[in-house]
Amino acid sequence: MIATDLFIAARNLARHTRRNLLLASAIGGVTAMLVLLGGLTTGMREAMLHSATTLMTGHVNLAGFFKITSGTAAPIVAGWEKPWDAVKDRIPELDYMAPRGRGWAKAVADGGSMDLVLAGVELSREPGFHKVIQVVDGSLEELGKPGTILLFQDQAKRLGVKPGDTLTLSAPTTRGASNTADVRVAAVARNIGLLSAFNAFIPADTLRQLYQLKAGTTGAVQIYLKDPADSAKVAARLRAALRDAGWRVMDPDPQPYWQKLMFKVNAEDWTGQKLDVTTWEDEMSFLSWIVTAVTWLGNVLVTVLMVIVAVGIVNTLAIAIRERTREIGTLRAIGMQRTQVLRLTLLEAFLLGLGGAVAGALLGAAVGAGLNGAGIELPETMQYFLLQRNLHLAIHPGQVAVYVAFVTALTTVAASWPSAYAARMRPVTAMHHVG
Amino acid sequence: MRTIRILALLLLLAPLPARSLSQEETDRVIRKIDEMERSGGDYKALVYMEAKEKDKTDVVYELLAYRRSGDQKLMFLFLEPKTEAGKGYLRLEKNLWFYDPRVGRWERRTERERIGGTDTRRGDLDESRLAEEFTAKWEADEKLGKFEVHRILLTVRPGVDVAFPTVRLWVNKENGVVLKRQELALSGRLMRTGYFPRWKKVWSESKKGEVWYAEEMRYYDEVEKANQTLLLVKSVDTRPLETNLFTKAWLESKSR
Repeated sequence: MIATDLFIAARNLARHTRRNLLLASAIGGVTAMLVLLGGLTTGMREAMLHSATTLMTGHVNLAGFFKITSGTAAPIVAGWEKPWDAVKDRIPELDYMAPRGRGWAKAVADGGSMDLVLAGVELSREPGFHKVIQVVDGSLEELGKPGTILLFQDQAKRLGVKPGDTLTLSAPTTRGASNTADVRVAAVARNIGLLSAFNAFIPADTLRQLYQLKAGTTGAVQIYLKDPADSAKVAARLRAALRDAGWRVMDPDPQPYWQKLMFKVNAEDWTGQKLDVTTWEDEMSFLSWIVTAVTWLGNVLVTVLMVIVAVGIVNTLAIAIRERTREIGTLRAIGMQRTQVLRLTLLEAFLLGLGGAVAGALLGAAVGAGLNGAGIELPETMQYFLLQRNLHLAIHPGQVAVYVAFVTALTTVAASWPSAYAARMRPVTAMHHVG
Repeated sequence: MRTIRILALLLLLAPLPARSLSQEETDRVIRKIDEMERSGGDYKALVYMEAKEKDKTDVVYELLAYRRSGDQKLMFLFLEPKTEAGKGYLRLEKNLWFYDPRVGRWERRTERERIGGTDTRRGDLDESRLAEEFTAKWEADEKLGKFEVHRILLTVRPGVDVAFPTVRLWVNKENGVVLKRQELALSGRLMRTGYFPRWKKVWSESKKGEVWYAEEMRYYDEVEKANQTLLLVKSVDTRPLETNLFTKAWLESKSR
């Protein structure tokens, strides 16, 4: 029965080729736009996850603050192995973990100076580091030696340094005393958008030396999961486990650690160690507005287009039904029920929507693949905000299927009013219809 | 015989090597600096602060500095430039608070904070507490320009938090004022050099004596060589201040 209806619906569509092709093209265009915008925002999000979880954060972070006095906080976890040992068995999703020192310093070279967010790394514990960092000059292995630094291209340019040159890092220790460290540029890496504008890497021991920290102290234990989607779940579990083990744990707060350090922790009246468990999304929340803004912009654009297409569908189907009034009257006269007429016209809209959406999705995916293949380098200002050097659209089949289903459903729903009108026709009136 | 006589004469004429200061004498020099600068009561001054930084426009700040010796209270209220007017720092019980009227919020800051983001530190405008914070060691007696000076090395006492753990002073032998100050990082690197070419004194009723203050202070950043800060201290007043002055409410009221 449904096969017959589908066949009739398809034949009806085929009888009005030009009009239906135009409508299908519009539906396809919107679907292609949806696929491309979705690919862009997903690409940004994936790029953010990929670069951020190498440069700044783990999927989950076991971090915290130590306050010597209520007004002097440092983003450190003293004796990090103890809390880690207390919870490590509670993370079956664990891929690997790496302690990462956190700091801030002024870098001064002969050519200039700038503020840098420093990460103290132990390269041997960070398998993901080599995958994200693309060294353009110098050697990444050199970063394993004490008293070295890895800079990104723009930083090296601003400071006027190249591998082998020395620069001075100046920072206050956790007790506020000035300290300096002379470091040699080990490598210069390719820029990775906004995050590489201010992040730099030094060996963990050099960072500890600069801040006068003991060997067991780190900034955060960065926890990498097999599936980053488990971050929030794992973070909640860690908080509970740490509290159960007797640690003082800060309440969840979706802010990066440096915002907490600057605006929150120093104003609180407590001293000693407090642990803070965060996800990568918390640490990157200061950038999530970019993804949100692009997503909303895309949504607004697609909504406007969808409304236009929906009005087009309603109008086109209304015209088609008017043109076919006598045909519908005849069908009703030979025994077709109202519900069957309704189903037939809805099926036509469904087929039109499905055909247009599939074609549009394929077109969108092809254009996306073409853009990815072309390796288009984004302008510098866009690199900062899109967190990508080259334009990359992440188009996933599952997501495309959702877009196709959505557009098809919307087309079918838009057709419900003209279809209901067709179903309500009285056979005699319809058969006498002229025109 | 003649040779011996000439040698003896030469020995007599040769300048005597500078006598080193004993530890007690060195400590006395440091205590004297603290005592000379101690206001022994309330203190108010108008301060002009000119900050020069590489590749940046020079900025001149104008601020009022208030001190109360008894409980080590301290307050700065920025008057100029317009963008900084109303901002202030207030130290209460070892906590340094920063107020920004634009956000209407108080933030706790470290005592080693760079004031207004310049190279000036809280200690530059606070009372001298060298004897309390550092141990002193005489290094040499020498000439600094036309002045005869003691060169003294100060090392921070254990458990005391200061911005610069090592300080070298050049103290005028004649009147005991500091003419030059070098501040070193933990790593031993020279961070900042200060020169104090003009000193003045003002009578303090509460101290029943004179309070010395450096009218001109020039600080040179030794890491970023192009950066320097000039501080001019004017209109020093040691008369008692309002009792409720060192409060957040007072500073907020002045910021409106």
